[in-house]
Amino acid sequence: MTDTAVRVTGLTKKFGAFTAIDDMSFTVERNKIYGLLGRNGAGKTTLMQLLSGQQFATSGSLEVFGASPVENARVLQSLCFIKESQKYPDSFRPEHVLASAPWFFANWDAALADRLVDDFRLPLMRPIKKLSRGQLSAIGVIVGLASRAPLTFFDEPYLGLDAVARQIFYDRLLEDYVEHPRTIILSTHLIDEVSNLLEHVLVIDEGRILMDQDAELLRGSASTVVGKKTDVDAFVAGRDIISRDGIGGLASVTVAGLSEAERAAARAAGLELSPVSLQQLIVQRTTSITQEPEIKTDAWSARA
Amino acid sequence: MIEAGKPIFVQIADQIENDIIDGVIKEETPVPSTNEFAAFHRINPATAGKGVNRLVEDGILYKRRGIGMFVATGARQRLIGARTEQFRANFVGPLLCEAAKLGITPEQVAGMIRIESSTERKGSNS
Amino acid sequence: MTATDFVTDTATSVHPRSAPERIWNVVRLHLVDRRTYIGIPWLIVGMAFVVTIFVAQIVGFTTGGLGTPDAIEGQRYSWAVLSPQWYLVIVGVQAISFGFPLALGFGVTRRDFYLGTALLFVLISAANALAFAVLTQIEQLTNGWWIDTYMFNALWLGLDGFWVDLFSFFVMQLLVFFIGASIATIYMRWRMPGMLVFWSSLALAVVGTVTIITFTNSWPDVGLWYGAQGIAGIFAWLLLPAAIAGFGGFLALRRATPKS
Repeated sequence: MTDTAVRVTGLTKKFGAFTAIDDMSFTVERNKIYGLLGRNGAGKTTLMQLLSGQQFATSGSLEVFGASPVENARVLQSLCFIKESQKYPDSFRPEHVLASAPWFFANWDAALADRLVDDFRLPLMRPIKKLSRGQLSAIGVIVGLASRAPLTFFDEPYLGLDAVARQIFYDRLLEDYVEHPRTIILSTHLIDEVSNLLEHVLVIDEGRILMDQDAELLRGSASTVVGKKTDVDAFVAGRDIISRDGIGGLASVTVAGLSEAERAAARAAGLELSPVSLQQLIVQRTTSITQEPEIKTDAWSARA
Repeated sequence: MIEAGKPIFVQIADQIENDIIDGVIKEETPVPSTNEFAAFHRINPATAGKGVNRLVEDGILYKRRGIGMFVATGARQRLIGARTEQFRANFVGPLLCEAAKLGITPEQVAGMIRIESSTERKGSNS
Repeated sequence: MTATDFVTDTATSVHPRSAPERIWNVVRLHLVDRRTYIGIPWLIVGMAFVVTIFVAQIVGFTTGGLGTPDAIEGQRYSWAVLSPQWYLVIVGVQAISFGFPLALGFGVTRRDFYLGTALLFVLISAANALAFAVLTQIEQLTNGWWIDTYMFNALWLGLDGFWVDLFSFFVMQLLVFFIGASIATIYMRWRMPGMLVFWSSLALAVVGTVTIITFTNSWPDVGLWYGAQGIAGIFAWLLLPAAIAGFGGFLALRRATPKS
């Protein structure tokens, strides 16, 4: 058995003239928590639909647990795809979803599901049509966690969940993952909230992979240098500049990959250094790319 | 707690080191498991494991098969030694460097430190 | 690796389920809310029966007394026995429009979903056919439930005996489900353009057929042919559109994607 859960090579998906996924290649290792990050419309949902066999690829190859997921019962039984927009029959109540889910997920843990129902205070007998947006999301979160599928996708699973409920989700996810390691792909734009849960980060933008990196390597990989414009410009000259900002004679430039010696040199030059969070880093990467396309050839470029 | 913009495993390793230096975790006693760290700090267990492994590589922690990670004998002394060296490099060096720029001699600096520490003690006593 | 203290590894493997098991689970998924296929249809039948009792009184009044051959004949024109069918067409539509995205979310293949749904239609149609054929017999034996009220001996039911009732009702029920399901499938696969093409070509086919028959003066022949088929024969022919809808739906759904 390999350690690869997903292998994607040259994957492309077009909807008419629109290219949603553009020649993507990456792998997902087993039993890691991946963050699939990117702006709205970047192609996150389409990518997960392709990986779960719900969409058909235009070209390229796509393997999940060693085979194409399309109409492959063996592969699909190992997947659970929780999406924000999941539809349920009009007459359903949450009890119907939780009663039928165990027939499709072999690893279903009913005790965990019961506990999560209490945690999220989900009214089991209320018609699904009358649930709030948050309660609807709670159903998805409960199914996604209790199914314990070897590969679980959460596509923006928290719509309408308040901060408390989201924290419950993150805590339960981590708790259960520790005891039952599995591959989890979490698509979100609340990067700060989940960044500590992630082991690996995939950032996509306009259908392409922008970053494919170990989360720990990304953290602390960039610094913002603040100081007099002339000093800052002198220091960052020739470096990998992620973003640039300034007011009057002050400049604030985010650069990648400073060594300890370089940091000391910056401080000696009277510059202020501040760390860059994963969210800031990704926001800056995904905005700068659209504004200054020449920065594409950097240390984190797509096929690193 | 965990702060943004710095590798988490470094922060975990630092926290364990601090606990050993402060005597919160004694030598030859177990440290919390990777999973306990992960749950407590709400971080990925692999990341927490990386922090613990870093201390194992440094010889601060060692593994007892089937039981867990323990603090090595002499770990506290070695950490204090290493931290003292860091203190010298990170604080004393720049301090003297800045002092030299202003024409303050090392003796004058030592005098300033004495006065500062005595007023600080008084301040904290009152 | 740092994952040495992970306790179990259960989540990495799943015991695969066999094809019959998977297909049967799709049947169970459709039936998890029993009201949809059983509760509501029989509630409609019950209400229709109450209405029929009142209607029977009116028929009896106008034909000069219930239980007369005229009154029994008059009640044959009631569509009350088919009252749940309007609802069941919608159920056929929803089996696909709601069931397909839900099943795919549960990791079901399109093939398993369709086969399970078709099996469900066959089973429900068989159960309904048996129930209505038996009720038709009981109604005859009790002379209209002892109150001369006939709901099940209506239209073509109760004319050619139990077995023809059973067969014809089964075919009719199957057709109702598959018509609903195939309309929903066309929508699932081709969205609005598909709907437009489907309805306009259906209308064209009907108008075209009527035109051809009219212009070739073939209506008497059509009437003769129709009369010669008998009830069982007509419903045997109706198996054809049911099969086309059922098989065509399968082909269309194999390449459909759930609306997101």
